[in-house]
Amino acid sequence: MIPLPVGLVTGALLDLLAAGLALSLLIVGIRVVRTHRRRRHERIAAPVRVLLLELLCAPDDEQSELLDRIARIDRRTWVALEPTVTSMLGKVTGRARTALVLLCERRGSAAAALADLGSRTAPRRGRAAQLLGQLGHRPAVPALCRLLGDRDREVRLAAARALGRIGDPVAAPRLLRSLHGPRTVPPRVVTAALTSLGPEALPGVVAGLRDPSPLVRAVAVEVLGTTGAIARTPEIVRALREDPDTEVRIRAARALGRLGMPEGLAPLVAALGPDRPAALRMVAAGALGGLGAVAATVPLTRLLGDVDAHVAGAAARALLRLGPQGEAALRQAADGRPGTRAAAQARAALAERAVGGTRHDVLVEVTL
Amino acid sequence: MARVLIADDDADIRDLVAFKLNQGGHQVTAVEDGVAALRAVREQPLDLVLLDIRMPGLSGLDVCRRLRSCDETASLPVILITARSQEGDVELGFAAGADDYIVKPFSPRELSSRVTALLTRVER
Repeated sequence: MIPLPVGLVTGALLDLLAAGLALSLLIVGIRVVRTHRRRRHERIAAPVRVLLLELLCAPDDEQSELLDRIARIDRRTWVALEPTVTSMLGKVTGRARTALVLLCERRGSAAAALADLGSRTAPRRGRAAQLLGQLGHRPAVPALCRLLGDRDREVRLAAARALGRIGDPVAAPRLLRSLHGPRTVPPRVVTAALTSLGPEALPGVVAGLRDPSPLVRAVAVEVLGTTGAIARTPEIVRALREDPDTEVRIRAARALGRLGMPEGLAPLVAALGPDRPAALRMVAAGALGGLGAVAATVPLTRLLGDVDAHVAGAAARALLRLGPQGEAALRQAADGRPGTRAAAQARAALAERAVGGTRHDVLVEVTL
Repeated sequence: MARVLIADDDADIRDLVAFKLNQGGHQVTAVEDGVAALRAVREQPLDLVLLDIRMPGLSGLDVCRRLRSCDETASLPVILITARSQEGDVELGFAAGADDYIVKPFSPRELSSRVTALLTRVER
């Protein structure tokens, strides 16, 4: 082993210590500057903050005068007040929100945010997208659609959420496309955004059912279910019957249960077949409970003895949701020979109901 | 005029609620968490309490339960404030003994109307 000179080791340690100290000072310095800036902004904004609260709570005849007064404040004060204005946008509704949108328009906030969508810094692009969404600024939709492919994940998420808030149906195909590719948006965010777009976006969502990507088809069918698109029941039925992907079929089954249309009965019963994947059979059983179709009593009762306990359990809970006829079927099964699978499942469901409070629909989804 | 307590960890909401209710002639105390809310209830007579469901430490639901379990505060009117995404909490809120709830984002006018309506109901 070669001995290290003591001076060299001491020097290295001192350098390390100095670097650590410099880093700590830098962090403390940044915090001090930020705190100082925040306090300065609070101090500057304090008098106009009261005016802002007055605007939000003002009767109709006083609102326009207050709006004029705040819209005329100097730039320095507006910079200090703007974070409160944008934060309040997400917290109030009605005339108070309308007043804030008008104020932002008068101060040119939407135009500035539109310009910031092209900023080099990701947080600025994200904040701009969020503000445009809160303002419901429709002219921003094309730029926000482009941001769905942004290199920064948080910006993509902010753009998707903003598009949902703005509610322009033209965004539907672009939101669905953002589910695949090198820069994606998580399915739950896309689903929420598409659900917010309203019925006018449904043609775009239905088109997603023909997409080659199973994930796009799955999200499209999920959105049709959550938005209550009963006129699209035939497309959902086709997805349940014909889609090659199991996940899409599962979501189609769940959507049919949510929609509650009688056309869902036959395809859901067909999805209970023993040759189908267990997850699909389980969701289809739950969906039949949601449908409330008494005609499903016989196929669901048959499932009580299924070798898959999850499928049998879902069928038992679905029977409970069918009302007196389903319950009677369960009681009959529960009275059967002790020890059989069907009797055990029926007793478990009846006992679950007796202790009360079990949300059967939720239970089925949680199990997934 | 009624004495109202608002407990919310969001300063914007606290200020907005206090401003609106002050405008309506009520005397408002604003606090930022559940512990401070319980302290305020102990220290001063109140006619109505507004509680945000999600607060750090003691939640609005916890505060509501504690108010209901104490003889002196068992009948104190309580309105819960909840975010849209937490609407499942409403059921828990009523089980905890709340009298009404408001969903964020809300209209200041709606808030004022609900407070007035609940106070009127209690007076009757």
